[in-house]
Amino acid sequence: MRPRSRAILDSLGRNVGKLALATTIAIVLAAMTHIAAILMLPWLARQDAYARLAPTASAENAVLVAAPRAGGFGEVDAPLPETWLPLHDPALAVGACAYDLADGPLRVSAPDGALFQTISLHARGAGAYYAITDRAAVRGRLELVVATRDQLDAILAEEAAAQVETGPADAFGDLRVVAPTREGFVLVRTLAAFPSEAPLAEALVEAVSCTIEPL
Amino acid sequence: MLDALRRAARNAYHLLLIGYAAALGAGLGLGSALWVLEGDYPFGERRAQAWLAWPSVGSPQSDPYARAILARSADVPLALGEGIAFHAYEDELGRPLDARCRYAISGETPVARAWTLTLYDPDGRLIETPQRRPGLTSAEVLRAEDGAVTIALAPDPQPGNWIQLPGSGGFQAVLRLYDSPVSGALGWLDDGAMPRIVRLSCTGEATS
Repeated sequence: MRPRSRAILDSLGRNVGKLALATTIAIVLAAMTHIAAILMLPWLARQDAYARLAPTASAENAVLVAAPRAGGFGEVDAPLPETWLPLHDPALAVGACAYDLADGPLRVSAPDGALFQTISLHARGAGAYYAITDRAAVRGRLELVVATRDQLDAILAEEAAAQVETGPADAFGDLRVVAPTREGFVLVRTLAAFPSEAPLAEALVEAVSCTIEPL
Repeated sequence: MLDALRRAARNAYHLLLIGYAAALGAGLGLGSALWVLEGDYPFGERRAQAWLAWPSVGSPQSDPYARAILARSADVPLALGEGIAFHAYEDELGRPLDARCRYAISGETPVARAWTLTLYDPDGRLIETPQRRPGLTSAEVLRAEDGAVTIALAPDPQPGNWIQLPGSGGFQAVLRLYDSPVSGALGWLDDGAMPRIVRLSCTGEATS
């Protein structure tokens, strides 16, 4: 082989090698982009449940997000409930209130109605972290306090100090839940087993109060 | 002169390679992420007959893919203590659910305080029919003497429990168990614990 053609072949081999290296780098980059996109999405999303519910943070009570299918006598033609919640169960009244624990723990309080009701807590970007049903109601009310780890420590310290002064308290303790992040939302679901229970289910959802109690 | 030209060509080739790597990396990475997010939850699928459930999606242990899918769909799944949702896209023989056909959903439902069966179109909207009833609850349902439940899904009226199908297109069924020990994800269901989805007949074909 003449030296000139050998030089051309060598240079070709070098360039193909560089192309293979670039492709390998591209695949590594692709894996990193993929992982970053999946992990970042819950924090960047502007249309997720938290973003849509954020305006309800200032509300004192849960805001109805999705109504149950109404019906019964004279309401045969009631339209199907419309909501942004995908795959909404038309037997449920769904309400929510968003929270930000920056100013203090959140107290969620629901009157114990006759219908099946659940309250679930969802952290922004991290999904559901706690849920209770109406079976947990004590003395006719379903109450829970949502706090960050630091706030809970402060509450416990305050209680311990109060006990030293006045002796053990005999009141029912609150049900306390530690929130994984400061921001999130409370979701209330009430079941209207019959369409005629729809108004009651909606009223029970809107009767759930969410109040920030500064320490 | 020739050397300078060759060096310029090499530099241009290197720039081209860097651009190629960056574009391919970003394209493949974002494209694959989008592709995964379009589908069902990739991990933690549990199956009982034709019914699929993802119990871990409503728990603090949900995986990053499930969280990203939820962020995109704005869905709020049932949390672990609230209940569990079972999705069916096919009948018991694996044929996609078709709104032109007649189906019978029959058998037992797992222990729960209440359950609902709801039909959606493939995009997740409630089915729209003249009957204006896209689902049934456990309280509304009529039962046989032995407590068994049979629900007919058909475009035309059926005796007993009947949910009207729109008569065209596909559909999906969601069975939600509220306050059920199943959602605790201790163990899993036998196939017999879930109702069967049997296709009875389709318009334009003899009874199958």
